[in-house]
Amino acid sequence: MMQKKIWIKIFISCLIITWLNLSCRENKKLPDDFELATAWADMTNYITKTTPANSPTFASRCFGYIGLTMYESVVNGYPEYQSVAPQLNGLGSLPLPEKGTRYNWQLALNAGQAEILRSIYIQTSDKNKSKIDSLEQYFVSVFKIKIPDESIANRSILYGKKIARLIFEWSKTDGGHRAYLNNFDKKLFFADKPGCWKPPLYAQSFSHFPLHPHWGQNRTFLAVDSSIAAPEFIPFDTMPGSAYYNQFMQVYKKEKILTQEEKEAAIWWSDDPDVTFTPPGHSYYFATLAIRKTKPGLIKCAETYARLGMAVADAFRNCWKWKYQFFTERANTYVPQHIDQRWESFWPDPPFPAFPSGHAIQAAAAATVLTNLYGENFAFTDSAHVGRARDEIRNTDFKARHFNSFWQAAEETAMSRFYGGIHVPQDNARGLEKGKIIANNINQLHWEKISDNRYK
Amino acid sequence: MITGINEMRYCLFMILFFLHFFIYNSFCQTRFKDITAEAGINQVFKVYEGMFGGGACVIDFNKDGFEDLYITGGMNDDVLYKNNGNGTFTNVFEQSGMRGTKNYVTQGVAGADVNRDGFVDLFVTTITRRDKRLVIPRGINFLFLNNGDGTFRDATKEYGLDQLFSFSTGAGFGDFNADGWPDIYVGNYFNEYKGKLSVINDNTVVEANQIAKGYLLLNENGKKFRDVYSEYGLDYRGFGFGGVFTDFDNDGDQDLFVNHDFGYKRTPDMLLENRYPKKKFTDVSKETGMDLRINSMGTAVGDYNNDGLMDYYMTNIKFNYFMVNQGVGKPFVNKARELGMDFFAISWGANFADFDHDGDVDLFVANGDLNPNCVPMADFYFENLGNKFEDHARAVGLADYGIGRGSVVFDYDNDGDLDLLVVNQAPVLDYPVSSYTRLYRNDSTGGNWIKIALKGVQAESHGIGSKIEVEAGGKKMIREIDGGSSSHLSQNSVIAHFGLGKVPKINKITVYWTGGNKQTISNIPVNRLITITETPEKKSNRFFVYLLIGLCSAATCFILWKKVKMA
Repeated sequence: MMQKKIWIKIFISCLIITWLNLSCRENKKLPDDFELATAWADMTNYITKTTPANSPTFASRCFGYIGLTMYESVVNGYPEYQSVAPQLNGLGSLPLPEKGTRYNWQLALNAGQAEILRSIYIQTSDKNKSKIDSLEQYFVSVFKIKIPDESIANRSILYGKKIARLIFEWSKTDGGHRAYLNNFDKKLFFADKPGCWKPPLYAQSFSHFPLHPHWGQNRTFLAVDSSIAAPEFIPFDTMPGSAYYNQFMQVYKKEKILTQEEKEAAIWWSDDPDVTFTPPGHSYYFATLAIRKTKPGLIKCAETYARLGMAVADAFRNCWKWKYQFFTERANTYVPQHIDQRWESFWPDPPFPAFPSGHAIQAAAAATVLTNLYGENFAFTDSAHVGRARDEIRNTDFKARHFNSFWQAAEETAMSRFYGGIHVPQDNARGLEKGKIIANNINQLHWEKISDNRYK
Repeated sequence: MITGINEMRYCLFMILFFLHFFIYNSFCQTRFKDITAEAGINQVFKVYEGMFGGGACVIDFNKDGFEDLYITGGMNDDVLYKNNGNGTFTNVFEQSGMRGTKNYVTQGVAGADVNRDGFVDLFVTTITRRDKRLVIPRGINFLFLNNGDGTFRDATKEYGLDQLFSFSTGAGFGDFNADGWPDIYVGNYFNEYKGKLSVINDNTVVEANQIAKGYLLLNENGKKFRDVYSEYGLDYRGFGFGGVFTDFDNDGDQDLFVNHDFGYKRTPDMLLENRYPKKKFTDVSKETGMDLRINSMGTAVGDYNNDGLMDYYMTNIKFNYFMVNQGVGKPFVNKARELGMDFFAISWGANFADFDHDGDVDLFVANGDLNPNCVPMADFYFENLGNKFEDHARAVGLADYGIGRGSVVFDYDNDGDLDLLVVNQAPVLDYPVSSYTRLYRNDSTGGNWIKIALKGVQAESHGIGSKIEVEAGGKKMIREIDGGSSSHLSQNSVIAHFGLGKVPKINKITVYWTGGNKQTISNIPVNRLITITETPEKKSNRFFVYLLIGLCSAATCFILWKKVKMA
């Protein structure tokens, strides 16, 4: 009897040891390039989501620098590609790798991503910082084994870090550095004119000042992006039947007939910075979906994140410029005053002016970049919020969404703000238009050395 | 012809008669007279940076029988208004021993006899310092012990409260473990800040503005306070505006209703059931329907329909909620709309009181914009008409357009009816009307009344949290003694007040003391203030019962043992 028990114990122990061995060996298998890149994108979104006081503006800017770092840390390993640094708004050339020496570009990317994340999200918790460190350490340990010469590994790591530090230094002068410390300018004086933005009563934020009012003065990644013409705006009017009035009437009427599916879209895309990775994070996640599906090489992964990051960053910067130029009201201000006092939007107001929609502009920018890289008919399933507790107030679940193209997703992003009652149609339409223009500028950078064929 | 003239005369007479009747009637209504200036009240709350603050506490600090006031000033100095007994007040703050608050931005205030020496002590919440600008706005909350000679001393450190760096809003006293020592719940809006100010980095800054846990401060024999929040099973965070201790289920212990701002986005309001004698609060918000997802600013507690169950009116942005108690085990129902009290406003303070002595409680609501945005909005005065409420603020002289926050009721002139003080904020931007704290004298003309003060012996010394039931004229009316954090950041008089209409005598008064002690008196004359002193429960009875049970069990054991032995 006793002997039998001992044998069982020994058998189980052997099983565990074998399993451990196997799993360790499996861990040491070299990850594919796309796995390395997307692991860092996942980490980037995790940090974006779990760092307090984040905002779509600040997050968008971080995606820009993090994506750019990924590209610049590996681009010199791919002779057909070139650095875009000199084509950007004042970054200048970044240092080249030492001639005649070997590099491991995976280790360079790994070091660069860890470094830029730690620097640009300096405000994140110690727990999050150690998560970044352990991901970095993990990849170092798996790649180092395969590299015979330790000096190659060290050189690569140093190079990746150097690129990250230089990009971070550049980021400090764009106007958005440590902007989380000044989300709301409490000394801001804003004019009180008809149709102007009013601090919301049914609000997402406790602040009665609008978010990042000076964001529109920040440096853009592309100089050309700062000179895009302002969108057309339908002028204020209280006359029933006027074009302006009808914009709000549409929102008002829609709220009363929202289908369950439209409600699902409204909460899905809300991407509240307090609990999610913000709207630009949602776009960064789309890049990850495209990469996981197509499994491209390292350089295309990096190019994807760089383009996407800079596109959403410039989209938000321009959007904020126009938001404060027009400084327009939301439906929660106009409708109770001119249509129905008891009305309330399906989703609470964010703390900034309405026109144009930030969701729309960044979604269009992201879709334009991703379509250019992965084609028009790209079917994918968005599961970003699957598993979140249902929205009890609105009786709505977070359900995965399927799209046949990136543009379809962008259009739904924009529409969802209309369903939520926080944007009128013109906010969305002008947002989509401008986002496309911004992304096309990014697409037209010279990424490949003999690039020009690709974009014609 | 003559008949014609007569008819005309008759008509004219009738018109005049009805007109007279109408005018007389309209003048007959309860009138409130703004006596701020003549009473010597000169106070306004000054905000730190928008929105937060302003409450008052009714306290008879010198025990002269005239109720005094402590009012927080925010960026202005607080005031302690001594009631001179002649209709005027004198600010005695400077010599009161509470000047320490001058370095802080004060918010709310509540009072109770913390050390049971018979004198009411004060607890003042703050959000940050006034004397220096901190990266992370945090303050400490002050405990001032009443010296009994008209002054107070700062006992914050002595009671273990000086290291709680918080952004605190409302604080209320209650005795959740029913030991007679008043405990405190403090609502915090932003995360507590732990550690030394020298280690502030970007992370501490961004972490600090997250939603916060409240403090559940247990009074340990009048010597110290200890935060037992997690010990009592609580782990919630929210944008807290405080919480009021109240017995919603009539089981004799004090439950806790917590107000949370932004309930639709973060943590909703919470109703926490006290599981006394267990050391535990259970969250029953959901099943009771009290998980209000609103911008919950404050609570008024009262039984509007005299059914023996406490109802709760929560102030909010846009439309307030009136949660009517349907009885134990049934969810509350919001009847604000049905009862005619759902006007568009931004509301903060609210007080139930029988202002017109007709045997049911009316409701005052203090309104004010989210300073610095400054759209003037008038306060509400909802008169209880039995099956509905009607706003008579303009008619009774309470439709003030100041930026209202906390409000309290008390009988400052001891004439038997309840007067009203409304704390108003100074507008940050241009404002079309004046906004300052106002005192309104109730010039109610008729109706009998009674005021009941409690003297706890085992229960809290002024009966905080205890319930009083008055049976008169075929009605049963109840009041709960307010421990603070009611209205908005405020505390009403601890003297219970009942309007009695024409009823000449009270059949019965029952006091349900916290801790389960019940006491009844009958045939009480009206129009006076009476004090009911707790008759302590006779512990000896219980002792004999236990002794008897013990002896019986011992005997049974002995017999059984013998039987077993014999077998």
